[in-house]
Amino acid sequence: MSSDSKRASRREFFKVLGAGAATAAVTAPTAALGFDLDTFFQKHFRRMDDDELQAVIERKAAEYAKTYGKEFTVKATPAYEDVLFGYGLDISRCIGCRRCVHACVEENNQSRDPEIQWIRVLEFERESAIRGIDLEAGNPYYDPETVPQKDKFYMPIACMQCEDSPCTNVCPTGATWRSNDGIVVIDYDWCIGCRYCMAACPYGARHFNWKEPTLPADEVNTNIHLLGNAPRKKGVVEKCHWCIHRTREGKYPACLEACPVGARKFGNLLDPDSEIRQIMATKRTFVLKSELGTNPKFFYFFGGAER
Amino acid sequence: METPVPESPDGEPPGGYTPPPHQPLIWGLLGTVALLVVAGTTMRLAQNPDAPRPANVLRALPDDGKATLADEPEMDDEYDPCSDCHEDEETNFTVREMDEEHDELEFKHGTTWCLDCHDIEDRDYLHLAGGTKVDFDDTSTLCGQCHGAKIPDWKAGIHGKRTGHWRGDKTYQPCISCHDPHVPGFEPVKPEAPPERPTLIGAEDHHAPEAAEVDAPEKGAGDE
Repeated sequence: MSSDSKRASRREFFKVLGAGAATAAVTAPTAALGFDLDTFFQKHFRRMDDDELQAVIERKAAEYAKTYGKEFTVKATPAYEDVLFGYGLDISRCIGCRRCVHACVEENNQSRDPEIQWIRVLEFERESAIRGIDLEAGNPYYDPETVPQKDKFYMPIACMQCEDSPCTNVCPTGATWRSNDGIVVIDYDWCIGCRYCMAACPYGARHFNWKEPTLPADEVNTNIHLLGNAPRKKGVVEKCHWCIHRTREGKYPACLEACPVGARKFGNLLDPDSEIRQIMATKRTFVLKSELGTNPKFFYFFGGAER
Repeated sequence: METPVPESPDGEPPGGYTPPPHQPLIWGLLGTVALLVVAGTTMRLAQNPDAPRPANVLRALPDDGKATLADEPEMDDEYDPCSDCHEDEETNFTVREMDEEHDELEFKHGTTWCLDCHDIEDRDYLHLAGGTKVDFDDTSTLCGQCHGAKIPDWKAGIHGKRTGHWRGDKTYQPCISCHDPHVPGFEPVKPEAPPERPTLIGAEDHHAPEAAEVDAPEKGAGDE
């Protein structure tokens, strides 16, 4: 679309708006405007009351049903009150098979083309670990016949769900925030695509839809959460949300279930008996770039592999 | 620390060695007795394969009605039950390469061999080092006798895989769901596809290797 036609459509918009004021245009402005007024004036997720939220859920469900020809379950499940989520990854066990990466894409409706993947598995030289992990030296494009390679180790990286999250601090519209259970979420309808958050994130966890995402109807996951795996549009930022549509219903995230070696652990940091707390109590754990003070809730640990 | 030495009854001068009034002897005796008892029990176990079986180490799941232990993988029909073939065979105790029967089985499990785990008397059972029989659907108990350090980790959810709910019903995988008992180490697998390298969107073919490998917006997208 050229900038000229953009300007034209903007003029058109104000024209219609002016006319609408006189003739109760709210009744049928959609056709004239080329977009839906309800969508345009949709409130920020956290400002909506229950009725407004319900209306949005119904409108979205209808939109998705039309686009994909399927029945959708659209949710806005709130956080559990007694829960702070934590994730553990046993770096001594990960074999770099990328099952988690692709399970995540399928679960969370990422664009297939251009390809967006929230989990990035970095391959490192085993020897280099002696000098500490240099993230810049990690290779995400490795593709040997088989993994694990003897002289390598693997480190999956996605959103760390930081407690002091630089990404949410810089968002000019408040479209991304850290919710009470610790998950950093995005209201895709309020994201203006400025990508400040991407610049602020020290982990490269955020991804931008440069193009209209491609998501084949037969591959779409119809079980969606508005702040999670709801299909995105061009011009918004997205990232891992610890499968908010699953974890806020007590389920494990999809990547955890896909892991063939049981390296991924998930649970409630406030429950001393949870898997993640047991790990923190008995294993050596670390977080990435702890020196930045972001206070991630994603912990790497050494489970003590015998190899 | 100095302790006052009591004057001995036969009038020896103080300062001479007096054995302390206790105990090494008694402890020694007690220790020997204890050792004998333990050894005796072990030997009895060894001689009595029908002794009460130990509870499955993995079955002691949290008692909240939400934990389930997944079924252990089924044995290959060809071998099940073992006694079909082994009933009439004479046991060859020699540790050896299996090049006639079971030669298709890969075996990479330390220095162990068949009869360390498979029961000799009753082929449809496994057995612990002491001779106690173990059912084929209870293999984790057997694994635990050597890999005991893994059991507490497994129970705490640190080692192994669980599926289902972090809060609610969850399924625990027993050892041999993931580890082939004959080759317990993980075999290398083919990795899934690597990510595409970022390219200039709008380039004719963004898969082409000559396309600039930069993560850049469409030219002019920022102009307005």
